[in-house]
Amino acid sequence: MASVSANFVCSRTSVRLLNQMMTSKSLRLATVGWGRTPGFPRLTSSRFQISCAAKKETVDKVCEIVRKQLALPADKEITPQTTFTDLGADSLDTVEIVMGLEEEFDITVQEDNQDNISCIQEAADLIEQLVASKS
Amino acid sequence: MGASTKPRLSGMQLQVLALYRGFLRAARMKSPEERSRIEALVSQEFRRNSSQVDRKNYLYIEYLVRRGKKQLDQLKSPETVGLASLNVEASQAKTS
Repeated sequence: MASVSANFVCSRTSVRLLNQMMTSKSLRLATVGWGRTPGFPRLTSSRFQISCAAKKETVDKVCEIVRKQLALPADKEITPQTTFTDLGADSLDTVEIVMGLEEEFDITVQEDNQDNISCIQEAADLIEQLVASKS
Repeated sequence: MGASTKPRLSGMQLQVLALYRGFLRAARMKSPEERSRIEALVSQEFRRNSSQVDRKNYLYIEYLVRRGKKQLDQLKSPETVGLASLNVEASQAKTS
């Protein structure tokens, strides 16, 4: 049985070009759920946006918190693309991590955003967005 | 599976996670030592259930979620200062 898998590759080159054009827009990459939810993409939250990479210190802080929560050994490497499941976290751990991040950055993550966070980069981007919209 | 990096969580799983989140949020409002106790207890309970309870046993899971919601409501009330649990192990009497 032939199976086709399409991979979403966020091509950084095109993002960089756009970043140069639009300097201070904070935009977010859409993960339009292909076939996950039947029907049309949600019109409530417009998600067709492109993300500029979150600040390095945000990503580092996130890594720090993740390490602490999951009690990872110090030599375990964490890149922004590492998903939480790669690190052996289940969904309960993910909830704990997000709560820890909420506390650290003094933000409140909404319910529907929580489910989208699967890797460190996404978490950092979301945090940046929330911090920016709060201030 | 598909290309999405998000795990495909069912409605029931989302309910359970929302409940867990609710507990963690409620725990924040109590005193720090109580908070760590609550977090430890809740996390232990949820993990135990996740491994022991069959994921197709919808009826039992719904019951647990309902019970959890009631407990959470009680916990949220400012008069409640803590959470405790009692473990009873039923020992099987050997009959020869």
